[in-house]
Amino acid sequence: MNKISPSARANGALINVSNLAKIYANGAGSIPILQKVNLKVFPGEMVAVMGPSGSGKSTLLFILGLFLHPTRGSYQLAGEDVLNLDRTAQAEFRRRRVGFVFQSCDLLENSTVYENLEFPLIYAGIDRHKRPARILAALEQVNLEHRIHHASNHLSGGERQRVAVARALVNQPQVILADEPTGQLDRGHSHLIMDHFAEIVKKGETAVVVVTHDSEIADRCTRICSLEDGILYER
Amino acid sequence: MRHRRRYWGVVLAISLGVAGFMLVMTMSRDFKKNFNRDLTLIGGVTIIRMYFEDLPDQRPQWFRPETIAALRHLPGVTDASLVALAGGAQTNWRTRKYYFSLLGVDESFWEVRGFWPLKGQLFGEREVEGRKREVVLGTELARRIFGTQEVEGLYMEIDHDLFRVSGLLGGITDSSLANSAFIPLTTAEDRIPGISLANRLYLRCLTWDDVDRVTAAVPAAVSSHQSADLLRVEVSREGLKRVKHVAWWVEFFIYLALSATLILGGVGIWNVMMAAVRSRTREIGLKKAMGAEDRDILAQFLSEALCLSVGSAILGVALGGLGMEIMASFIGSRPPLDLFLLCLFLGLLFAVFLGVGAGLYPSVQASRMEVVTAIRYE
Repeated sequence: MNKISPSARANGALINVSNLAKIYANGAGSIPILQKVNLKVFPGEMVAVMGPSGSGKSTLLFILGLFLHPTRGSYQLAGEDVLNLDRTAQAEFRRRRVGFVFQSCDLLENSTVYENLEFPLIYAGIDRHKRPARILAALEQVNLEHRIHHASNHLSGGERQRVAVARALVNQPQVILADEPTGQLDRGHSHLIMDHFAEIVKKGETAVVVVTHDSEIADRCTRICSLEDGILYER
Repeated sequence: MRHRRRYWGVVLAISLGVAGFMLVMTMSRDFKKNFNRDLTLIGGVTIIRMYFEDLPDQRPQWFRPETIAALRHLPGVTDASLVALAGGAQTNWRTRKYYFSLLGVDESFWEVRGFWPLKGQLFGEREVEGRKREVVLGTELARRIFGTQEVEGLYMEIDHDLFRVSGLLGGITDSSLANSAFIPLTTAEDRIPGISLANRLYLRCLTWDDVDRVTAAVPAAVSSHQSADLLRVEVSREGLKRVKHVAWWVEFFIYLALSATLILGGVGIWNVMMAAVRSRTREIGLKKAMGAEDRDILAQFLSEALCLSVGSAILGVALGGLGMEIMASFIGSRPPLDLFLLCLFLGLLFAVFLGVGAGLYPSVQASRMEVVTAIRYE
C-alpha cells in the first residue's frame, strides 16, 4: 500500500470537498443521498470509497467527475472552484483533468481500441499527429499495446476494462475516478487493474478514487472511506 | 450505421423525391413542347394567327421579309409560316369541273400547323424555292375529285396549269382545309391570277405559357418594320385557358405527390434520428464523460442527418439525371444545361434544409442529455 509522500501533500489537495450534499426532490418529498461529505485527495493517493448499495457512492463519484451538481457544499478540483464554472468550462476541466472508468466496461461499440482511445484526444483538441503516440503510451501502461487495432467487442471482459482504464489515462489526467472498476471481473483481472492504478499513482502526480464493494480491492488503496447514511467517514 | 433498413427507407424516399423533382422541373418544358404539337388536334392553342385586314379604302398590306424575321426571333416562337389565299380555284377531271379553295403556303406551313403527310409527301424548301408546280390535297378534296386517296403522282389542272399531286394532307380537323389544295407560295404568286398578297402568318409558340407573351409582343415587332394599323392577331383563347387549367392541375398534383414523398423523407429522418438517439444514449453519455461538449454531440447527430439527406439527394440527382437522359432520348429534345444545374442546386439545397430541419430536434435532444441519465440508461 502506498503512503502519501510529504512532497505530494505539500502540493495541495487535488480534490477538496467540504460539506457536500445531494438531495433529490420528488413529488413525495426529498431524498437525501449525500448529507455531509468532506474529502481531501492528494496526488499519489488511491482512495477507496465503500458503502452499501444505494449509499450514494456513485453519486459522489459523479459529482467529483462534474457530471452532477450537488445541492450544496463546495468542491475544488486542482485548486479551482469547479462548481461555479459554466457547463462548457466544466466539460473543458473534465477533458483535461479527469479520467473516468465505469463499472460496466463501457467501450464504444463497432469501434477499435484505437478509436476508443482517440475520442478523448479529439475532444481535447490534441493534434492528430500526436494522437498515436499518446494512445500507444496509454495502452502500454495497461499492457495492451498489442490489441491497439482490435475491435472492442472482440476483447475479453478483463481486456475491455483495461482499455477503459487506458482511455481514462490517455489525456494524462490528474484525477482518475473509477466506479466499481473490478465489479465484473474475476479475482485475477481485478488485481491486474489495481496493479495498473498502483503503478499510475506511484509517480506521485495522479490521484485515484475507487468506488468498490470489495474489501480486498479497498485494502490495496492508500485510504479507505465509507459512506453511511449520506455521511463519509474515514476508516 | 445502425438501423440500416430504416436508413434505406429514408434514402429511398428522399432520392426518389429528388429524382422526381428534377424530372418534372427539367422535362416538363420539353413535354409541353411535344404535347403542344399534339394539341393542334384539339384547337392548336399554341398557334397565333395574324393577318392584315383588307379594307376597301386602305392600301393592302402584306408581311415583309424583315417583319417575318423579327417575328421568328421573338422569345418563345419556334416557327412562322406565311400563307396567301387564292380563294376559289377550279380543276377539270374527266369532263367534270370541281371548285375548291387554294392556298399558297411556304415550307414551314406543315410544321407550324402540325400537319403530316397521309399519303406521299408534303413539299419542302426545295420545291418552294424552285417554284415547282406541286400540289398537296386535303383528303376530302382528293376523294371528291379522284374518288380515292391514292393520288400521289397524278396530275391535275389548276387554273389552266398542270400540277403534280405530291401528297395527301393528314392531321386536318377543319373541314374547309380538308377541301383545300396547297401549292408552294412562290408558285402561287407566279402562276395564280388574283391571289392575295402574303398577308396571313401563323406563329407557333414553344409552350402555351409563351402564347400571351408572344401575342403581346407581336404588334411592336411588326410596327418596327411596317405599319401595323390593319394587323389583326387571333389566338384560341378559350382552348388555351382550358389547356392551361388542366395542365395546372396536373402539375399541382405531381408536385403535391413529390412534396408528400419529400415530407415523408423528412419524417423518416426525424424518426431514424430519434431512434438513433435512443439506442445510442449510453454512447452519448460515454462521449460526454470523455469530455464531449453539447455542441460536439449536436454536430455529430446533425451531420449524420445531413449525410443521410444530402447523400439521398445526390443519389436522387444521379437517378434524375439518368431519367432525364432516357426521357430526352425518347422525346428527342433535352432541357438546357443551366436548368439542370439549377435543379441540381435546388435539390441539394432542399436536402440540406430537410436534413437540418428534420435532424435538429433529435440532435438537440441528444446534446442536452445529462451524462448520468445517459450512462445509467438501459
